[in-house]
Amino acid sequence: MADARTPPFRLNLGRFVVFAFLAFGVCFYGVPLLWLLLAGTRSQSSLFADPPFTIGTWESFITTWNNLTTYNNFQIVDWAVNSLIYSVGGVALALFASIPAGYALAASEFPGRKLILVVTLIAMITPSTAVVLPIFLEMNLLGLNNTYAGLILASGFFPFGVYLTYVYFSSSLPKGVMDSARVDGANRFELFSRIALPLAKPIVALVAFFSFIGIWSNYFLAFVLLTDDKLYNLPVGLTVLISTSGALSNLPANDVPIKKPEVILAAILVILPVLLIFIVAQRFVRSGMLSGAEKG
Amino acid sequence: MSAIAASASPPAIARERARAAKRKGRRDARMAYLLLAPYLVLLVMFGLFPVGYAFGLSFVDTIENAFYGLANYEFVFNDFRVPSAVVNVLWFVAIWVAMTMVGVATLSLMLDSIGRKTATVLRTIYFLPGAVTSSAVVVLWLFMLDPGVSPFQGLLHAAGWTYSIDVISGLGLALVFSIMAYFSSSGGWIVVFGGALSSLPTEVMEAARIDGANRFQLATRIKLPMIWRSLVLMGILSFAAGLQLFVEPQLMQLAGPQSAQNDWSLNQMAFQYAFRMGDFGASAALSTMLVGSSIIIALVIVFATRFYKID
Repeated sequence: MADARTPPFRLNLGRFVVFAFLAFGVCFYGVPLLWLLLAGTRSQSSLFADPPFTIGTWESFITTWNNLTTYNNFQIVDWAVNSLIYSVGGVALALFASIPAGYALAASEFPGRKLILVVTLIAMITPSTAVVLPIFLEMNLLGLNNTYAGLILASGFFPFGVYLTYVYFSSSLPKGVMDSARVDGANRFELFSRIALPLAKPIVALVAFFSFIGIWSNYFLAFVLLTDDKLYNLPVGLTVLISTSGALSNLPANDVPIKKPEVILAAILVILPVLLIFIVAQRFVRSGMLSGAEKG
Repeated sequence: MSAIAASASPPAIARERARAAKRKGRRDARMAYLLLAPYLVLLVMFGLFPVGYAFGLSFVDTIENAFYGLANYEFVFNDFRVPSAVVNVLWFVAIWVAMTMVGVATLSLMLDSIGRKTATVLRTIYFLPGAVTSSAVVVLWLFMLDPGVSPFQGLLHAAGWTYSIDVISGLGLALVFSIMAYFSSSGGWIVVFGGALSSLPTEVMEAARIDGANRFQLATRIKLPMIWRSLVLMGILSFAAGLQLFVEPQLMQLAGPQSAQNDWSLNQMAFQYAFRMGDFGASAALSTMLVGSSIIIALVIVFATRFYKID
């Protein structure tokens, strides 16, 4: 007989089905990622010959690392630096534009406010991939293709950030404090800089989080706007490494030092910053993705 | 005297007050526009202008620089690759949206029915692949679908597949792209619905349990209807994003020239027109139709549903 205090573990059919599904989920989501992280340490021959979850050797990891970083005169380092420039520039611009804008939409009444809100929502719901080719056509007209500025400007446009900030300030601005500050003679800009901005830390973090993820992993826009390989970001660089070396095609070997392990390591470099941020900030996703959308 | 002053002043004061309020309102408005200025510049530059410019360009013969009427649209519709790209994209969207709605709902409801600690760990495992996006997700899944190196090689061999090209043609491209997209996009939603489900009123759950509802009934009759609206929103957003498919088919060439799919999706066709053929007019015509469909979906979400609050 089961102990009365611990709930009896009954393996009925329903429970079994639930755990079978959840375990299938663990395989589907977990196995590829685990494999990728381990495979970065393995040699080309180990990838084919050893069991999938073998951990490689330190030596093979170092060899792969050196092959990857020194290839084409440290090209991947340049791409990583570019990715950093695009991300820092884009996130800074997105914050600079969306925090004051969201505040203004939430805190004041002015002609055109409703229109701006509606256009922002439409821009936010429209997938960013839908405007990539129109943006390319425009940049072509302006001569901003193949520039850092072009990609940074385009990625600083972040209507989702404006909407998140608007929703945040709509519910969290202390009207009483605002009014008494106004009576005390604070001007309108001071209301924003002295009262709203110090309150804005959580929303700054949230907007930075979402815009960073979008910009760091942006492939389509970078691929279309940049044709000069010195300006590539990491996601585009990763594909260039593969297509110039044929590392994934299992065709006859060539003397390019980029093989499967190097590609895997490059892919890890692409995802690692976002992966680390995800581990720290999973709760951001919950508070962000459906914010404003009515629950239930 | 004072009586006259008293009777004359209230309207004067009211007028003065109204004027002051108007001035204040105008100054408020000026400040608001100032705060909005950087965003509005970007909105025009990367929202309104490109869409309008592509629309205008779609009526121009960009090679001869002359007004072209609807000829660009005609050209696009007469391109034999376009109808098959439409079919491809619709297949992809159908599979991916179904996968997302069923998969996210099922896993979210199941996670909500088990112990909190286990659920948190599992949810994190489901969520982390969200970090694998754009080109990395294609590269990762090209490894997963290669029977030579894949951790799923047992399954792939059991299905009788020896090379990745067998796997890809065996599964079909629409399913392959759906798996890639689902892998990286669904975990975030599972986290979101985890939050939504845990915030459902406990009294309702208690009442249902007392009435004798089992876990399955609780999930399908009580919880599912309560998150249904958010599930539909997720479905519509996925549908809109899926129509714009580009990266997954475009990068199939990484698996070797025999796997290349350069005109599989509509956005790829728009890309081909601009980059391979230098025909910006045709590219603009196809882009205009693609953006147009997204904007229509967005308008429906904003005005026909109440998913997002404005005021």
